[in-house]
Amino acid sequence: MALYMLFIDFIRLATKALKERKTRAVLTIIGISIGPLVMVMMSSVVRSYSDYIVERITSLGQNAIAVFPRENYRLSEEDLSFIRSMPEVMRAEPFYSTQALLKRGSDEVRISVFAIDYKLLFEAIGSLEIMEGSIPSGTLSAIIGKKVAFKDSGEQYFMLGDVITLVVPKIEEGTIMGKKNVNVKIGAILKEYGGALIVDPDSTVFLHPEAGRKILGMRDWSGIFVLARDPAMVRDVVSILRNRYEDRLQVIAFSAIAEAISSVTMAIDFINFSTSLSAFAVAIAGVAATMITSVMERTREIGVMKAIGYTSSQILLLILLESIMMSLIGGLAGILLGIVGAHFLSLRGLTISGLELSLVLSPKITPSLIIQTLLLTIAVGLVGGILPAYKASKVPPAVALRYE
Amino acid sequence: MTPSPKILVELANVSKEYRVGEIHTVALKEVSFKIYEGDLVAIMGPSGSGKTTLLNMIGLLDRPSSGKIYFEGRDISKMSDKELAYLRNAKIGFVFQTFNLVNRLTVFENIELPLIPKGLPRSVRAEMVKEALLKVGGELEWLRKKPNQLSGGQQQRVAIARAIVGNPLIILADEPTGNLDRASAKIVVETFLKLNKEGHSIIVVTHDPEIANCMEKIYVIRDGTIIGQYYADPKESLLNKISGGYVSSGH
Repeated sequence: MALYMLFIDFIRLATKALKERKTRAVLTIIGISIGPLVMVMMSSVVRSYSDYIVERITSLGQNAIAVFPRENYRLSEEDLSFIRSMPEVMRAEPFYSTQALLKRGSDEVRISVFAIDYKLLFEAIGSLEIMEGSIPSGTLSAIIGKKVAFKDSGEQYFMLGDVITLVVPKIEEGTIMGKKNVNVKIGAILKEYGGALIVDPDSTVFLHPEAGRKILGMRDWSGIFVLARDPAMVRDVVSILRNRYEDRLQVIAFSAIAEAISSVTMAIDFINFSTSLSAFAVAIAGVAATMITSVMERTREIGVMKAIGYTSSQILLLILLESIMMSLIGGLAGILLGIVGAHFLSLRGLTISGLELSLVLSPKITPSLIIQTLLLTIAVGLVGGILPAYKASKVPPAVALRYE
Repeated sequence: MTPSPKILVELANVSKEYRVGEIHTVALKEVSFKIYEGDLVAIMGPSGSGKTTLLNMIGLLDRPSSGKIYFEGRDISKMSDKELAYLRNAKIGFVFQTFNLVNRLTVFENIELPLIPKGLPRSVRAEMVKEALLKVGGELEWLRKKPNQLSGGQQQRVAIARAIVGNPLIILADEPTGNLDRASAKIVVETFLKLNKEGHSIIVVTHDPEIANCMEKIYVIRDGTIIGQYYADPKESLLNKISGGYVSSGH
């Protein structure tokens, strides 16, 4: 109880000391607030976008691998057999893909068309769900994404069982010879998948694999979709395929993309952390300068306090409390400004060129980020205040009382 | 037979030397000195004679270079700085020439300062603060004021209230009237005499003979050595010269 009261009294005394030198304290607090501001603002925005991108990619399946032929190479049954024969491979299915225009009333909408094994599709993209209908069996039925069935205004244009017309490239002997119309019936409509990377199911029409050859008229497979038995085996499969096919095939593991993005965002996060640390280091110098000046100005007062019975450790605590209080105020102000700044910054959004994807996400302000920032700010007060506080506590009372 | 008064502080062959670079100064030379319970003592001497150093030794603010200091019979050389701080808080009150009040704090908070390390409840402290201020002739309306809103004499009374609020055995005053006019000095001296009457030992360092003669005993110090001990002459005291009267200390 006595200790608690002493602490409360010391906080009161420290507050009065700070109030006496308001301008200096406010300037120091502003200096302190920059570190937490930068840390909260940058980290929350970077983490928000990076976590979203990684989450989207990992939702594609950590054991999924896409194999695409490079120019002048045609995937064959032999390649498919080889991949299927690998002990690490659970399933491998070829697919056809193309771009198409969809006639939706007077509009023409650009969409993707994938002719792929439906079971593999739902296995690879775990969060993909059907909103209406069921998986169709014939080559003339399709599963369509939400943005295909619904207009941007949210109005549903295509219903289950409707026939849609796709304008696709007309391919003869492997070369594009103009355009042709393809009519397919809607067998199922997917639930909204959300912003997509690599694959965008919302703007895709999925067809039976045989439709690729029979309906779209494509001669060659666009790629082979491979599922490894275990995510840990993905690396081996990729390595074997790259060794065997060298430049002839492009092998993409979704987990590797997620890892690459994670490592990039971790690097960005580290750079941001280092930048914030520089601001924190400057703040330490600011706190130290303020407190040294304050202690020098109050040397006589410290002498009086020692004369009337304050111990060295009590003087140390008193001075340290002043610097910690400045840090706390600066930290809280910085965090609040950082949160506001993060919302402004995230409003700018992120455009991933190549994928034609624009994201606007809320910053990821987590309790751990706030606590981490606050602890760092308190550390600023402790480190910056410890030397002046120690000096003040060690000054002999007789010497302090003589100080002019 | 009356029992002999208790020795509160004893200095035995105490010397204090300071060394700043090549300069070596001897502030006290083998001083032996005793403060008894209820003493009313003045320490006189010219500037640089070692008065303040002696007061610092008695007040446990400094340690001697050689010799021993006993506080209530305990050798302070065997005590830690923390123990000395506790002793100062519990047993000694200090009054300074320049008052040394903290101007950002109110009068109440200034007087309360020595009570904070004791961990007393606020309500108890508030009562003690009021009692101390009234004891030195202060007014309760000063409590909310800042020290710089008071006159010099009033500020010194606040400083004395701060010194006595913890009910110390000894009050040490270093030139307490040095910054005051004669009327204010008289009030301060009268306050000391009153406190002495209530049982506090008073040690006043001064170079003013009129102040020294208000006390009972006068020690004269020169070049770090006590060169004489006299009984004060009330006729030469400030109190006598100002009003022609003298408040007896009762000793």
